[in-house]
Amino acid sequence: MTFRPVQNFKGSRALVVIDRSGRESALASTLAKLGIACEYPEVACGRAQIDPKSLQPERDILIVDGDLGDVLAIDVNPASRLPPVPVIGLVGVEAPSRLKALVNLGATAFLRKPVHGGSVYSSLFMGVNQFLLRSDTHERLQDLEMRRRGRRAVLRAVVQLMRETGLNDDSAYSQLRRESMRARQNLELYCEEFLSRRARPPDASVRASGPAREGHNKRAI
Amino acid sequence: MAGRVFRVGVMFSTTGSYSVVARSMLNGALLAFREIIDAGGAVAPEPVVVNPSGELARYRALSLELLASGVHHVVGCYTSSSRKEVIPCFEKFDGLLWYPSHYEGFESSDNVIYTGAAPNQHVLPLVEYLTAHVGSRAFCIGSNYIWAWENNRIFREALMARGGTVLAERYLPLGDNDFDRVIAAILEQRPDFVFNNLIGTSAYAFFRAFRAACRARGIDQAAAIPIASCTLSEPELAEIGEDAVDGHLSCSVYFSSLSSPTNEAFIRAYAQAFPEGPVSSADAEASYIAVKLLAAALQQAGTDDAQAVRTAVANQRLIAPQGEVRIDPQTYHAWLTPRIGRSTASGQFEVLLEARDPVAPDPYLIQTSPRFATAMRSPLLKVVRS
Repeated sequence: MTFRPVQNFKGSRALVVIDRSGRESALASTLAKLGIACEYPEVACGRAQIDPKSLQPERDILIVDGDLGDVLAIDVNPASRLPPVPVIGLVGVEAPSRLKALVNLGATAFLRKPVHGGSVYSSLFMGVNQFLLRSDTHERLQDLEMRRRGRRAVLRAVVQLMRETGLNDDSAYSQLRRESMRARQNLELYCEEFLSRRARPPDASVRASGPAREGHNKRAI
Repeated sequence: MAGRVFRVGVMFSTTGSYSVVARSMLNGALLAFREIIDAGGAVAPEPVVVNPSGELARYRALSLELLASGVHHVVGCYTSSSRKEVIPCFEKFDGLLWYPSHYEGFESSDNVIYTGAAPNQHVLPLVEYLTAHVGSRAFCIGSNYIWAWENNRIFREALMARGGTVLAERYLPLGDNDFDRVIAAILEQRPDFVFNNLIGTSAYAFFRAFRAACRARGIDQAAAIPIASCTLSEPELAEIGEDAVDGHLSCSVYFSSLSSPTNEAFIRAYAQAFPEGPVSSADAEASYIAVKLLAAALQQAGTDDAQAVRTAVANQRLIAPQGEVRIDPQTYHAWLTPRIGRSTASGQFEVLLEARDPVAPDPYLIQTSPRFATAMRSPLLKVVRS
């Protein structure tokens, strides 16, 4: 699938977590030119007052000043290491500890302080689109992981079908694949359902299955 | 009493591959300086003219020289690459560049006042006209730099959104005149039109070569495969030559054929001041507007301090040769009136369409472009020849 980057940020909302010194005007005026509403969450007791439930990834962008330390309390997905919305880190003190803290927050772009109007669009473009690309990659990984786990069911279904029909492994696999496509299911899920349809009641399985077939089945798995 | 003198840099490449347009821009600026002095107002801007000769490094060096000498305002640049080259200098010295040319947008420096057209004022109206009146299959050609890359990108997205197709995009080095292969490709593809982003001598040579190639094959080029541009202006029509001058489409905020008392006075004064030419153009008018707005802002600010002048120029209005022009206080781009023209055998443009009112600048196309960029993908099927 071809990735289509976001290029027009109109209608977005930037939540800018920054020490408001008056020098942030270049950022605010450039965001306004790009059609982005700018809000400054209050910082109380060293924490930005942001309701995580109110964040919407299609609309919101967090711009956080790395020099403020541990100011942002948002949950980063432990698997994808992605925050709930794109995060852009404002870099003042260019020290590894500050940069690492921003990376740990899931920042996908940096913006150097003092903010230069000519850098804002590039930073937004990179931050938002890297967030989308990484989200997409994470979804694909999850899908692949699920399918990898499902390969066990595929192997079992192939063996089952070979036993039932006398087909060789290639033909059994092809038949299952054809049937999964007809059912508009991925092969792994189809095979799981194929096996569950054939599952016998526990008491029946002991009587019906001879020791040799049981053993063969185990080997196949 | 003489007005207060402010030195103003004027930087155009009056020699080099795009010197024809640049000379008309210089003329437009100088005419405005002359009129301001003759009017005897409170300010007397004094032009300091420099010529970078189309060399990027010279633009930077001359900008630094001007700014270091105490000049705070420079009217100049034609190509986007030259503008991007000098912007850091203006930011460093906190000067103002008055950029008087149409460009590809996606920029809004606090140290630039843009008096030429933004992309929603040239390329988008052109796409609208072409799809409604000419066709939807385009062949794009351009000089190999930021203007053509980005203008073609905007054009492609707008055309595809209207169901059109870009058959091919070809780029040639600035100043290149070898068009045999690209013309052969165009004639093979037979688009409904060519979208041209070549500039300077390359553009003039292409217009001539394409007309000749079509003629040799019995094709009425202007009717069958017209060339549409956002850059083509009257001085360039003279450079193309009478053999290939007519039937080209151009989207511009100004044509010298506009009939209004202000434009007629402008044309008369311009011709009188510069009988040797080159004739007036949209970029000459944008340069004229830039100097007029600068003078008005200097007068209002009472100083040439860049930030004071910048504040003063916001919302300035001017009855220009093209009609009313004003500066947008958010983007520091100008409200301008887009028009579509077709070149005539006499080296002018007949106006085919025009906006009723000045159009707000939208340099980042936030009002008009889709949220997501158009996906580019390779064709699924390719023609294979035996």
